[in-house]
Amino acid sequence: MPEQTLTKLASKEAFQSFRSAAEENWRRLWEGSATVVTVGVGSSSIAKGALDVLAAFEQIASGRNDLVVRKAGVDGADWMEVQVQVKRSGLPTVYFGDVTSADAAAILDGSSGKAVAVDGDASLGGLPTLNSLPFFKYQQRIVLKDTGVIDPDSIEDAIARGAYSGYYKALFEMTPEEVIAEVTASGLRGRGGAGFPAGIKWESGRKARATPKFIVCNSHEGEPNVYKDRRIHEGDPHRILEGLLIAAVTVGAERAYNYIGGEYPLAIKRFRKAVADAEKLGLIGKNVLGTGKDVAFRVRTGGGAYICGEGSAMMYSVMGVRGQPRTKPPRSVEEGIWKRPTVANNTETVSNIREIVNNGGEWFKQFGTEKSPGTKLMTVQGPMKTLGLVEVPMGITLGQLIEEVWGGMLDGYEFKGIQTGGVSAGPLTPEHFDLPVDFDSLTDVGGMLGSGGFVVFDSTVCAVDFARYLTAFNRVESCAKCVPCARGNPALVEVLDRIRLGRGSLSDLPLMERTSKHVIELSLCGLGQVAPMPLLGMMKMYSEEFRAHIVDGVCPTGTCPIGSHALTLAAAD
Amino acid sequence: MTSANGQVHAHAEIDLDQVREILSHFKPQDHQEAQELILSALQEVNEHFGWVSLEASEVVAEHFGTTSNRIYGLLTFYADFRTEPRGKHFMLLCHGMSCYVMGSQKLVQELSDRYGITDGGTTADGELTVQVVNGCLGVCDRAPLVKIDNDFYGSLNVDSFNDVLQRAIASGVQPSHA
Repeated sequence: MPEQTLTKLASKEAFQSFRSAAEENWRRLWEGSATVVTVGVGSSSIAKGALDVLAAFEQIASGRNDLVVRKAGVDGADWMEVQVQVKRSGLPTVYFGDVTSADAAAILDGSSGKAVAVDGDASLGGLPTLNSLPFFKYQQRIVLKDTGVIDPDSIEDAIARGAYSGYYKALFEMTPEEVIAEVTASGLRGRGGAGFPAGIKWESGRKARATPKFIVCNSHEGEPNVYKDRRIHEGDPHRILEGLLIAAVTVGAERAYNYIGGEYPLAIKRFRKAVADAEKLGLIGKNVLGTGKDVAFRVRTGGGAYICGEGSAMMYSVMGVRGQPRTKPPRSVEEGIWKRPTVANNTETVSNIREIVNNGGEWFKQFGTEKSPGTKLMTVQGPMKTLGLVEVPMGITLGQLIEEVWGGMLDGYEFKGIQTGGVSAGPLTPEHFDLPVDFDSLTDVGGMLGSGGFVVFDSTVCAVDFARYLTAFNRVESCAKCVPCARGNPALVEVLDRIRLGRGSLSDLPLMERTSKHVIELSLCGLGQVAPMPLLGMMKMYSEEFRAHIVDGVCPTGTCPIGSHALTLAAAD
Repeated sequence: MTSANGQVHAHAEIDLDQVREILSHFKPQDHQEAQELILSALQEVNEHFGWVSLEASEVVAEHFGTTSNRIYGLLTFYADFRTEPRGKHFMLLCHGMSCYVMGSQKLVQELSDRYGITDGGTTADGELTVQVVNGCLGVCDRAPLVKIDNDFYGSLNVDSFNDVLQRAIASGVQPSHA
């Protein structure tokens, strides 16, 4: 669609008519006679040639008016990337997977064999419906509703699909107290890992007396196996922005920030475009839609330090210094960015806000479990069949995720365990497959939901070496401000290396437990307080393997350099 | 052997006028905003040249009204910055957890054994600089995976990794910052 010039909307009515026009354009696009081809273009599909695919379709479409080629974000089904959706007049959308630029012509003339599924309730020409595929069957998309649907660079697309309707409601139809009441009633808990109720956070922010106040969105996402926030930025940036703007007018903040990890250039680019467009429309700035309210917005980018996912470290990074956490209190809601009250939310958390404001807190509670309402973005990685990102209701079981959503193990691989909570918890095994995945259930058995990143590992992965990898990650990423974390983690890696070389002794096991306890109890921030958890989990779950290294002098998987004089170089040494 | 100490590029310099041009887009309204913008500006300089030299740091410090010591503190804290020049080609080797369980450790090992380089190092011929990514490149279904200049190569084992290294270097692909 041709880029429309965006001009400032100075009133409620101006926004309404812009929205009507956008909705009309959207309807015409899908109900028109032209065939609509949508290519999923995100960082993961670009790695597989999505830009070439897009260019191939655009070349065919040039000069034709019966064919519209557009891009969208990627919808999470990484296993079928590059994904192309084809909507022909009067027919449901057909999804093609594993597409290359050479397939473009065949897809359009109907001779391609790469069709995977069809939209809607009825199968078509032997193709199953999308929602009958195990990968999609369990999904309940609230946050990802429009990811893979709208063009992320088009604010018209977003508004046609309901963007800023929650913001509109918060500006014109609800008081800040009512908004907070709905968020509190929804039971929405922070999606960054800690699970703190968002409504309570907003309430404290609103009550804080010092001004100005700030909102900051934590989009750093440094976990070594998680990309959920990146995908929302790449697929539906306006949803994040809207959540933050609602937070700002509700809390009474002068300015909102989004802190994005610097290693995600496409996420940053698309989000900046979203902010620029929203500014042009007057959704950000002075006197928003004629309400007299002012909201400023700033995008800040990190530089590849895992620790900047910690709240206070992130705020230091926003302020242009080294991201090293500080002791609390004061909490950031009292003293955050520039020592002003600052409400910090995770990207996924704020991405739920529009729907909660629009539909109410009670509506949100119908999804998920009693203590963890709503959905969760989850990624399972490793040697599995259908990898990707899904949004499922809280409470789905681990077994359902592994065996159905992710399609089970790849042929030739044998399941050994599933690492939970990123680098902050321990592994689980098939005996835990019946556990519901939510904020609380996994913690009792030494696992953790964390930010929803799970990694399955197979029988060729050595538990000692994996524990070493995870501990070394935390060692490298420690900001080295406090001694227990800065010295304790290297000490643990040293002992693990001894065991990997076959020079460990049985006394090393209690030594590691004792050292871990010190690190956990004495470290200043959340990184150190959980850094040894993967090691402890591995020691508990695979104690026989540790003993085999020490007592028998063998590494059962043959990974560790037992008997050699040189150490294997490991994670970022 | 390696140029982690910058030997190969002893005379490498950054054009400070280009740095000033990049900085001219950063116009802070006040002292607070100036501080907030330092990291973004450094990222652009790092992206453009592949590294940030001491001289460039001084120009950045001057622009934002701070000291080059502080800039150096940032450059050495945040993993994405380099204080030494890159080789002709730049490779990100994903060593996130998904890549680890699929064998990225063997690739890290191969780099050390065969090419004599570790994280941040450059091959002796100055052709390739490697950064091991502790985070995640987000293409986990193709693990283990590397990105050389602008191209991704996935589902690697040691043999295909070596193939990729030879092809990418021999073909003379230009680095993105040239």
